[in-house]
Amino acid sequence: MDEPQATRLVETALRCYPARWRRRHGEEAAELAALLIRDGTPAASIAWSYLVGAAREWLAPRPGRRLSTVACALLVAACSLGVSAGLLAPAAPARAASAGQAHASAHCRPGLPVPVPGVVPALGRPQVIIWEAVHGRSC
Amino acid sequence: MAVGRRDGRAGPDVLRRVGEASVLVLISLADGPKHGYALIQDIKELAGVELGPGTLYGALDRLERLGLIESLPADDRRHPYRITAPGAAALRVHLDSLERLSAAGRLRLRLGGI
Repeated sequence: MDEPQATRLVETALRCYPARWRRRHGEEAAELAALLIRDGTPAASIAWSYLVGAAREWLAPRPGRRLSTVACALLVAACSLGVSAGLLAPAAPARAASAGQAHASAHCRPGLPVPVPGVVPALGRPQVIIWEAVHGRSC
Repeated sequence: MAVGRRDGRAGPDVLRRVGEASVLVLISLADGPKHGYALIQDIKELAGVELGPGTLYGALDRLERLGLIESLPADDRRHPYRITAPGAAALRVHLDSLERLSAAGRLRLRLGGI
């Protein structure tokens, strides 16, 4: 690998650091890399070391980063709740109706399916009828 | 977050959890200020360990945050680093702890007849 290529590789790795780090150490780190390359250290190994360092730098907890971490966690939690609520919403009336009938159907008797009273099909939506379990066993 | 004591007296072993690279950097700085390249060369001679530049800067940042080293005004584009009084005290405590551990290990090897 020739010198310009090596320099480009190291500079690319250095760009992976947070801006705060680059302002503080950027020039010095580039010069250190140039000295190490001159000594015969492979540029790829230097770039790899900087890449690992950059990953650590991003992952290390910082006082200023706590707020954004909390904000991200809250956003993820809110999205998860929203998706869960969206998925559960169609099943909610059915579950409520089942809960209302639970005490009444402690012992189910065989017979014809009976519509559950209290569940009114919504206007303009597909009719949903919930049938009591009819299997001749306690349920 | 500086954990060292300004008076330089011994406290708990704060270097126990900072990693080997940070301890090597502190040992290297114990005889005077050095910049990054000099630190890498010195640690290579001292301990036979070749620190990668990414590891070195990670250790320098950690030690600086703990108040165990400080950065001196830039000389050309390089920042020399210097060990602080709390840094020297922390290093002393850590080396004492390593000595005790080493002595205990040797004693047990003798007792075990290995």
